[in-house]
Amino acid sequence: MFGKVSAPHKLIRLISSATHAVPKLADVLIVGGGPAGLTLAAAIKSSPKLNQLSTVLVDASDLKGKVASFYNSPPDNYTNRVISLTPPSRRFLEERAGVSLMNDRIQVYDGLYVTEGCSDATLDMEKDSMACMIEILNVQSSLLKRLDQLSPDPNTFKIIDNTKVSGIELNDPYDAKSWPLVTLDNGEVYKTRLLVGADGFNSPVRKFSRIPSRGWSYNAFGVVATMKLEYPPYKIRGWQRFLPTGPIAHLPLPGENATLVWSCTERLSKLLTSITPEQFTALINAAFVLEDADMKFYYKQLEDKTISTKELSEDINFRIEQVFSSSEDENMIDEKYPPKVQGILPDTRARFPLKLSHADTYCSERIALVGDAAHTTHPLAGQGLNMGQGDVEALVDALEIAVSRGSDIGSLLSLQSFWADRYPINNLLLGMVDKLNKIYGTDYAPIVALRSFGINVINNVPPLKNLIRDTLGESGR
Amino acid sequence: MLSRLKVTGMSNNLINPALKGFGPWAKTACQQLSRHSGLGLRANGTSASADEISHFQELAPTWWDVSGPQRILHLMNNARMDFIQQTLKNSVKISDPETYIPGFNYRGFLPPYVARNIDHELELAISKSQTEEKISVLDVGCGGGILSEALARLSNVKHVTGIDLTAECIAVAKNHALADPSLKGKLDYEYQALEKVPGIYDVVTCFEMLEHVDNPGQILRHSWLKLKPNGILFLSTINRDIVSWFTTIFMGEYVLKIVPKGTHHLSKYIKSSEIQEWFQQNEPSTHEILQTKGTMYLPLKGWVEHDCSDVGNYFMAIGKL
Repeated sequence: MFGKVSAPHKLIRLISSATHAVPKLADVLIVGGGPAGLTLAAAIKSSPKLNQLSTVLVDASDLKGKVASFYNSPPDNYTNRVISLTPPSRRFLEERAGVSLMNDRIQVYDGLYVTEGCSDATLDMEKDSMACMIEILNVQSSLLKRLDQLSPDPNTFKIIDNTKVSGIELNDPYDAKSWPLVTLDNGEVYKTRLLVGADGFNSPVRKFSRIPSRGWSYNAFGVVATMKLEYPPYKIRGWQRFLPTGPIAHLPLPGENATLVWSCTERLSKLLTSITPEQFTALINAAFVLEDADMKFYYKQLEDKTISTKELSEDINFRIEQVFSSSEDENMIDEKYPPKVQGILPDTRARFPLKLSHADTYCSERIALVGDAAHTTHPLAGQGLNMGQGDVEALVDALEIAVSRGSDIGSLLSLQSFWADRYPINNLLLGMVDKLNKIYGTDYAPIVALRSFGINVINNVPPLKNLIRDTLGESGR
Repeated sequence: MLSRLKVTGMSNNLINPALKGFGPWAKTACQQLSRHSGLGLRANGTSASADEISHFQELAPTWWDVSGPQRILHLMNNARMDFIQQTLKNSVKISDPETYIPGFNYRGFLPPYVARNIDHELELAISKSQTEEKISVLDVGCGGGILSEALARLSNVKHVTGIDLTAECIAVAKNHALADPSLKGKLDYEYQALEKVPGIYDVVTCFEMLEHVDNPGQILRHSWLKLKPNGILFLSTINRDIVSWFTTIFMGEYVLKIVPKGTHHLSKYIKSSEIQEWFQQNEPSTHEILQTKGTMYLPLKGWVEHDCSDVGNYFMAIGKL
């Protein structure tokens, strides 16, 4: 009967099926140990209703080693992946996931001062403790610490780090409701009731689920760096200036530290990451004060390498002084411009592509997507991580309800409310940020006039201004 | 058109002798039994009629398709489970003297965070007591097992037995339960008549089934016999009134088509007051109506509870003293 199959072939097949691991069972398998994935794990293990769910978290990085050690032995300097955490996100982390963040490395700020490069239009939003700036490693390592302290039963919780997902398939390919089989590159196989994709923009879980994701690249990059200031800020707030090449933001960290997010064209991002740290520092200082024409001149000179670092610094300092001395009220200088940057910390300059994407839905049978796997946004409003925290909170709510009703937590019926809760608000935030970016992405005079008029109206009509401020500060929650 | 349909519905009502109240058939249960003894199943006394059984035979294959004909039942199961969980929680007597139980409306008088803490403490005490004394459940008329599976997944449930008189449904239920390893050993299904079920249970459920049987009084009687002292009988059915006809038959089956046609027969609906009367007459001193809630389906929202339990669909929990 098997005449055509040669003996060695058969043997290999036998061996391979024998080494094929017996699937282990999990209730929830989370792919991705970023802030969203770890928050979900900690929230599940902290919830009296959910802590019995056997949960596995898989991540490709060295979570238990490198990331976790940040909590007990943090470096002196600030790392460059810093995000804005809104009060509802912080409340969720602290109260429902039970995390104690490293408070001495968090900077709470009291407002945003938004200007632009083509006109004097200004939006000055003030609110005590509007949000806080925090390093992503602080969030991740605090969550790992929390999970360690909870010391959940190893049979019901496990972090598998330094491991990638090598394949996902349905246990029964003809039954969409059958449990997914997740094969890891360490040879283990998990059969899971619910598979959560917290695995970022290129989410393999989303690809497996065949949930379409739509969006576009901004053809732009974000350049980040950690900055040392000449003196601590007079007001602890964020400064953001919309340049025609993209918004630049200066956001406070404790003491004389601050973090930079400079969104710009691909060409400019390459220039900004290739020039010397001194040249880069001078450009940052210039970008918040000088006019767009000046900036274009410096970019050109730097690209053509026709200007020395000394000439650049002197020229920028001279022009900044000119602007400052023409100011009518000297006290307004500290009000209008961020503190002068002394330098950037070594190895903190990096760039990443900016894009907008939104998945059509966040769940299908036995699949849920959270965070960047479901949506990515322009960093200009500081909403990205907070949207992910909102997703996790809604998913935990949905799971708690499902467990108390005895529903299968992987069934679409249990997961639908999570998607229904989050899609509209995420869609609104993504849209707002996208339109803002578009409106500011031009120096076409009529548009500049219109947007400047609009901003001045908003700035002088408190209810409107407060609405925007609260939307940013609450992430729509 | 609408008014004519209403009238037709009403006139059906009037000519159907079974509609003349719940009391008579309860009293004449034995007579009915002898009248129906032509069919083997019916001789059991807790039977479903042949056309009911064949109706559910047809539905069996799509029972678990949550976007299929039984979607509304899947959604309703959420409301049932909320009702059951709430009733079970309320029935827990916290014996731990360490737990503070305010004897007044603390949510109204204490600051929100204090009330929240009290709620949290109470919740923990209740769930502790529930996991210490797990319950056994008999699900009468389990169909494809939507309620049985949900009950079996609860951490405070020891075991669930589901019974039904449609063999195809039992097959579907058994097969579906195999897909979830957590149900193993906690859930069994039997193709069996109620009175043949051995043993007694902490909870007996008769959800959406009294309106499908010829002799609901017998179901109540036998369900009651299967209940341990201090046990709880949960049931739900539909009030026999014009609102129910409009929502469950006219809108549900004919206009919105969210309920399979032929599922409901107005004449078999039972008023909540009739259930209460039955217990007054048959178990006057051994029962306590713990909770009665109306429930209605709102498109886009799902099933919601309300307090008018004498209109439309309703849930009822009766404690055995």
